[in-house]
Amino acid sequence: MEKKSYFVNGVGVISPQYTFDNTVFLPQPQEYENTILKCVVPDFKAYIQPVQLRRLSRLLRIGLSAAITCLRDAKDEAPTGIITSTGYGFLDDTAKFLTELLQQDEKQLTPTHFMQSTYNALGGLVASHIQCTGYNTTYVSKGFAFETALCDALMRLNEDASQHFLVGSYDEADATQFAVNSKAGYYRAEPTNNLKLFERPAAGSLQGEGAAFFFISAHKTEQTWCSIKDTRMMYAPGEEELTSALIDFLLVNLLSAEDVDIFINGASGDVDHDGIINRIGERFFTKSEQLRFKHLCGEYCTASSFALWMGASVLKKQQIPGIARMNCVPEKASLKNVLIVNQYGGRDYTFILLERG
Amino acid sequence: MSQRIFITGFGAITSIGENVDENFQSLVEARCGIGKADVLETVHRDMPVCEIKLHDRELLELAKAPGGKGFTRTATLGLIAVKEAIRSAELSRQEIHDSAFISATSTGGIREFEKYFYQLQENTGPGPWSQFRDTANPGDHAERIADELGIKKYVGTVSTACSSAANAIMMGAQMIKHQQVDRVICGGTEALSKFTLNGFNSLFILDKEHCKPFDEKRKGLNLGEGAAYLILESEQVVNRSRRKPVAELKGYGNANDAFHQTASSPEGTGAWKAMLEALQSAHLDPVHVGYINAHGTATENNDLSEGLAIQKIFGDDVPHFSSTKPYTGHTLAAAGSIEAVFSILALRHQVVFPNLNFGQPMKELTISPVTGILRNAKIEYVLSNSFGFGGNTSSLLLGSAA
Repeated sequence: MEKKSYFVNGVGVISPQYTFDNTVFLPQPQEYENTILKCVVPDFKAYIQPVQLRRLSRLLRIGLSAAITCLRDAKDEAPTGIITSTGYGFLDDTAKFLTELLQQDEKQLTPTHFMQSTYNALGGLVASHIQCTGYNTTYVSKGFAFETALCDALMRLNEDASQHFLVGSYDEADATQFAVNSKAGYYRAEPTNNLKLFERPAAGSLQGEGAAFFFISAHKTEQTWCSIKDTRMMYAPGEEELTSALIDFLLVNLLSAEDVDIFINGASGDVDHDGIINRIGERFFTKSEQLRFKHLCGEYCTASSFALWMGASVLKKQQIPGIARMNCVPEKASLKNVLIVNQYGGRDYTFILLERG
Repeated sequence: MSQRIFITGFGAITSIGENVDENFQSLVEARCGIGKADVLETVHRDMPVCEIKLHDRELLELAKAPGGKGFTRTATLGLIAVKEAIRSAELSRQEIHDSAFISATSTGGIREFEKYFYQLQENTGPGPWSQFRDTANPGDHAERIADELGIKKYVGTVSTACSSAANAIMMGAQMIKHQQVDRVICGGTEALSKFTLNGFNSLFILDKEHCKPFDEKRKGLNLGEGAAYLILESEQVVNRSRRKPVAELKGYGNANDAFHQTASSPEGTGAWKAMLEALQSAHLDPVHVGYINAHGTATENNDLSEGLAIQKIFGDDVPHFSSTKPYTGHTLAAAGSIEAVFSILALRHQVVFPNLNFGQPMKELTISPVTGILRNAKIEYVLSNSFGFGGNTSSLLLGSAA
């Protein structure tokens, strides 16, 4: 694919931190004591009419509000397509419909939860909310879901630079998912304070959630947060394979490790999964500012979208949030290149490269 | 961007056949898969469904994965069809390793999730459920299939309800066009479940008899299960390997109805846009299309909006069209790839499969589907439609490989 430039011209993020207000950047870290991080939500009435609000599930409210925040940030430019991504989607609705189904022996069921349970429900809702009849799809590929959405948008912009895509992610810290997956060792066995996640190495991570939307175009505007240079996904790589892929990824983007000003590390606090990514940080990026984020948003399939927001904010505001810092390096006059390396489940590895817009 | 995309292999399993050949025989002999639910444990046993009459263990044997730990019915059906596709394209181990895999699902491993719903949440110890720990994740089935076959390049999952597999094929084609990969194995898989059966039942859109697409007296759909996958390869790879393509993916379109979560707009805005875009991307005119494999679910809503959209595009010159849902039922996420396989069969054998159970034309439409098999049909291009909840509408345009 011929290299072109792509710009993030709007963001809207609702997460366990105070992120829905784009005028501030992680002002006061939110603390959670019990392994589960839930969104700090805005007043939904500022985004959605009360009559519609009543009919929407919690995740649809969060997702739609994040999408609207993003569109407002992009100065209400109309997207030509909507590409969404999620890990477990609307599992809360799925579980509610299943519970009813099992309790009532498959009789007299109401369809509301079933209707809202499809993984693409948010993409459809946003489309009808803004009357966007263009391209619309949803990816649900665990730790690749968000990057696949991003990759899809970049390919389409490469074909036709007049388009604009609303690219988003949404995942909910759902109780059923917690119950099931904590038995599989996904989460810390002991209640863990999120801000102390990395101080106490153990198996398992924190359950997180969030919705993040980005308005992506082939042209720069006054609103531009940063440019997206490239993204790549590596499925279940060995350490050497991943390392050489990362060097190659930088190389094809005409960069070396020394050019990376900010390295955003997708460690989840799970000692079983963080080894490779931490060693990459120690081996190549000791001179870069190293940031972590999963103590702020928790772990979920599309958590790398929070990292994209963080990287875009660092570049736009030329500010590094102390709460995310891993190391201490001399301050740089200008922050230009951000590299995000994420992992999900120690199998799905992704790279995203950002540049100052 | 002028990269052509060829289909060099395909595989399918549905209630009318365990492989592509069996499906073709059933289609030409007008043999449908509708019956009672024998394998799925449900109180709605009399609700007609298009079920594959093999228990999970038997399916695993058919997939030649008898160990099959953690393979849900969805994943097993997928594995069977992917393996057939790989065989038909004669891919080497290295070629499989270097392929991208994009699978589509509506509800992932919901069948096992609903079966072990309480045990999965409550029990820490081992049991028949413990192999299904992450069955609620829709992407899990694709990783299982990829791991079983040694696919390494990329693993992705698409979920846009009933248009999922068409969108998986589209994404596969995009990745080839943009030189991300040389080859993609893509399609969709769907197992019947209590969740979907009761979901559609609660919406009152299941017909208690055999479904009748595009009929004035249609009463709803029949659910089905199955899987189908295509091997897509770039023109360069085909030239290099001298593999004989079975068809060409000429174009595709994707749009959104932007109307309602579970209903299509009455005038079929999204359907019209998707078909138009598919034609435009292929640089073809409506007159070139010889057959439309319609989405045709037989719900009141779908067939009306799809029918009007077809009339709007094709005017007075509507090509042969039929819905093959009366054979296989509505296989939701897999419908797009199963019907892409049927469209390829139509092209290869120059036949139009009849729209079973049709009696009376719809009063809102001036067109009606093909009701008897047409042979020597002179079809050069086929349009295959897939529409779904969330307003997602997709259309694939397939052409002969010549």
